[in-house]
Amino acid sequence: MPELRKDPIIGRWIIISTERGKRPTDFIVEKSEGRGGFCPLCPGNENTTPPEVLSYSSTDGHQANRPGWDLRVVPNKYPALVIEGNLNKEGDGLYDRMNGIGAHEVIIETPDHHESFTSLPPERMIKVFQAYRDRLLDLAQDPRFRYVMVFKNFGAAAGASLEHSHSQLIALPILPRMISSEIEGGLSYYKYKERCIFCDIIRQEINQDKRVVAQNDLFIAIVPYAPRSPFEMWILPKRHASSYLAMDNDHFTALTAIFSECMRRLNTCIPNVPYNFVLHGAPLRSQPLDHYHWHFEIMPKLTMIAGFEWGSGFYINPIAPEEAAQFLREAAI
Amino acid sequence: MKKILLVDDEDSIHLLYREELEEEGYEVHSALSGEEALSQLKIIAPDLVILDINMPGINGIDALRRIKEMNPALPVILSSAYQEFKQDLATWASDEYIVKSSNLDELKAAVKKHLA
Repeated sequence: MPELRKDPIIGRWIIISTERGKRPTDFIVEKSEGRGGFCPLCPGNENTTPPEVLSYSSTDGHQANRPGWDLRVVPNKYPALVIEGNLNKEGDGLYDRMNGIGAHEVIIETPDHHESFTSLPPERMIKVFQAYRDRLLDLAQDPRFRYVMVFKNFGAAAGASLEHSHSQLIALPILPRMISSEIEGGLSYYKYKERCIFCDIIRQEINQDKRVVAQNDLFIAIVPYAPRSPFEMWILPKRHASSYLAMDNDHFTALTAIFSECMRRLNTCIPNVPYNFVLHGAPLRSQPLDHYHWHFEIMPKLTMIAGFEWGSGFYINPIAPEEAAQFLREAAI
Repeated sequence: MKKILLVDDEDSIHLLYREELEEEGYEVHSALSGEEALSQLKIIAPDLVILDINMPGINGIDALRRIKEMNPALPVILSSAYQEFKQDLATWASDEYIVKSSNLDELKAAVKKHLA
């Protein structure tokens, strides 16, 4: 029988529709062929991007905006939001508006055009996570910005238009509704139990051991109790922390290990599956929050978002999270 | 005289752009598709390409990638009625992205800049 499940943090309902007993091989993923031709993100084409705001290089004497980089971060060449100007917030009757101020940056994760995020060696992947932290720290100094959304799209179905591995960030002058809902949900739980709901989820998932995909000393990866998407995974630090910015340098190795393991397990279950991942954390410059817990959410793009989902806010997931976690755990990597 | 290859599947755009650009002193050549543009590149050897995006067959973004692969130094101006193609990072290979308008001042300024 189908099952309705409620996300304990924001109260979103999910329909687990397992009657068809889906297996990973039942999901059809079109092999996305590279489009070929000129790639503006490749080494040697640095002049086609705006000047970098960050780069890492292991090459001695590496010059900015020249080949020899290991990772580059550049502003979006054709941004939807502009970095220069003031917000000029104003009301128009009951409507609110402000100028479209923001920062939109692209993190070019590797100089190798053919290397996917999943296949990144640990020494490269760790730089991606460090770059997220370094850019967040820099953008947090701009008082116009309240939040920076870090995200990755992989595969055309997930919104990626270029095969060269990259992720993106958008600094916003407002707190996205998804994040404020999580913080409000966490606060409501905290007022009642005086504990972080995410910390309680981690404890319960370790105890029940039904939806855990992987864990190490510092991080845990789970399929959430009420996942929107088949094989959705969350990666959370085991020790309470509300902001990614506060992560210790020596924790990046453990984050890389679990993230890489999860991506490889997912890719074994469903090769080349399109996906998005997003980083959720506390607003910029906020004090440490006892009721919120930063985490990554990985969302494979395997189902259609159609009228029912748009209208109701529900999601229909054709595979139970316990089964998805088992498939992921048992995937040979 | 500097040569411009104008690539668009709409005849009305060719009529409008050609007249205005020829008045500016450019030699304008037309292609009605991405395929035609790619085949004409070597024959015409333009100094600049103005490229529509939403075309049947090879769309402007894929044509852009092939043009830049053949000649990275050739300036290409993407000219589209739509803003949303800017989300495709492949548009970064272009030198400008201009949203189509009946006022061609922005386009003419971009052409002048890249042919200076």
